[in-house]
Amino acid sequence: MKRWILGLLLGMSSVLWAQAPNQEVVLSATAGSKVGIALARPQIAGIDEAVINREFRDVIQRDLEEAGPFAVLKNNLPAGSEPSSYPAWISAGTDWLLICGITKTPSADVEVVLQVMDVKPGKPVFNKKYTGKEGALRRIAHTISDDLVARLTGDRGIANSRIVFVRQLSPGVKEIFQIDRDGANLSQLTDYKSLTLSPSVSEDGRLAFMTYKGGAPEIWGQMKPGGPNVKLYPRPGSPEGHCFAPAWSPDGKRLALVQGDRKGNSDIVILDVESGRVRRLTDSNCINTEPCWNPAGTQLAFTSDREGSPQVYLMEDDGSNMRRLTQEGSYNASPAWSPNGSMIAYVSRFEGKFDLFVYKLSEGKSYQITTGIASSESPTWSPDEHRLVFSSGSRGGMQLYTTDLSGNTLRRLTEFAGCQSPKWLKIH
Amino acid sequence: MRIARNLIPLTVLMTMGLGIACKKPAPAPETKQEEAPAPAPAPTPQAAPTPAPAPEPLKADEAAMMRQAADAALKDINFDLDKSDIREVDKPKLQAIADFMRSYPRAKVQIAGNCDERGTVEYNLALGERRAHAAQAYLVSLGTDGAKLPTISYGKERPKVQGHDEESWLINRNCEFTLQ
Repeated sequence: MKRWILGLLLGMSSVLWAQAPNQEVVLSATAGSKVGIALARPQIAGIDEAVINREFRDVIQRDLEEAGPFAVLKNNLPAGSEPSSYPAWISAGTDWLLICGITKTPSADVEVVLQVMDVKPGKPVFNKKYTGKEGALRRIAHTISDDLVARLTGDRGIANSRIVFVRQLSPGVKEIFQIDRDGANLSQLTDYKSLTLSPSVSEDGRLAFMTYKGGAPEIWGQMKPGGPNVKLYPRPGSPEGHCFAPAWSPDGKRLALVQGDRKGNSDIVILDVESGRVRRLTDSNCINTEPCWNPAGTQLAFTSDREGSPQVYLMEDDGSNMRRLTQEGSYNASPAWSPNGSMIAYVSRFEGKFDLFVYKLSEGKSYQITTGIASSESPTWSPDEHRLVFSSGSRGGMQLYTTDLSGNTLRRLTEFAGCQSPKWLKIH
Repeated sequence: MRIARNLIPLTVLMTMGLGIACKKPAPAPETKQEEAPAPAPAPTPQAAPTPAPAPEPLKADEAAMMRQAADAALKDINFDLDKSDIREVDKPKLQAIADFMRSYPRAKVQIAGNCDERGTVEYNLALGERRAHAAQAYLVSLGTDGAKLPTISYGKERPKVQGHDEESWLINRNCEFTLQ
């Protein structure tokens, strides 16, 4: 597994060089190994150091660790950031040294002046000034992390991204919430005082979800970014039966969802949201559920018990070319297609608890990501494909976590139980 | 498909996560209290069968009798793990419900299918629906009018008891019958 992860990083780097032959190579480390990065003690004016440590230093260190290509140095750091201190930084393992001046301006804005030195050749690799309202330090830290990832890899980082999920507020009451990817800035998005489940977020930021607020389950969501939540399904003339598990297509025009029939079977249908037309993709005496799109919007992964036990299947978006993906185990479910289309994360049940797996389509092979006492459920991918967010816990105490595929940087996002169904937003 | 199971750093960490979860105050001790009744769907204005005169509202004592009979007859049935087959042991309970429906032809009973916590959210929503329909089909086979037995599934979202053992899971894999 380790070897595979490394291979992935190397592969990514070579693609990057191929795409950007003119970009100056700033790496002094060899491709494939991590770039040592450290934050020198910032020069501060007008802001309490405890605030800087909490809202800036800790945030940027966590962001860079989770980003993947950096090895973040945090302890026993040398003093000073002048060229005379570089040998000490180098022997501590530093490649990139972040030198920051953080000032509160007379108009109460926060200004961060950042200079990044590659200390081995003693060359600057990045300079930028960031300003924001008071309280913007966290966002500035995220933006710096994303800028540094972009400087190193050519692809923007995801430190500023957010996650939408379901949280239980009391028995029988679950609402949709949003949280920053590092667990800050929790906010509540629905307030129906009912069971509201299964959020999906389109690439332009529109929410869809299933709710029992009117008694029977319905699909609600936004027709426009920032618009009000309206009923999307069922519509007048829709077939009778339950509906749930909405999933926005990548172009945001269609919703895959589950439609029940009179016999208690469940099928995948696609709703054209604008016209209201519905196309049924599966039709069988069984359960078909958990539809999930490939990034091109041409295929779906889903869970079905058509051969007796829940397994993950793939099909085209017209229902053709149906084939079974998971072969081992008696309960595989909850598929999530990776943003570049090459992997599918899913869960597999063993002795009543779930673990996360990733199926690599090019290899036709699965890799186990989590193992342990807790049950880990509902994986979805970060927009940069480096991490998974999922719910995990035991005895009902489910919280949200993110992890890289090696499990080296597992992070808990929440400080409360009753979390489920996280979805990582593609927009910042 | 081969599965590479050699990646373990998460074990420790997930166990840590468990430790944290365990420090939470224990859930209220086994309150097997009645769940709040399912939010009643807005009464659908049924197009009444054409010649039927508007049914007279039930008299208060009739309604009370029906409720009392419903309390006695409408008992949960339970299911095996991942299954929606009606168990032999539950068939007398369904017979009692069918008898109740025969005695009170104006009664409408919602069947809510539920699952235990050991499945995914959206698979369990489908499984709960299948359980509700299995109960409905069995009652129809006993002569009950299916139109008087609307179904709904709550998947694993409304467990009847909060325990995490075989006994609690069996209680939570159920169909609940609610007089509407």
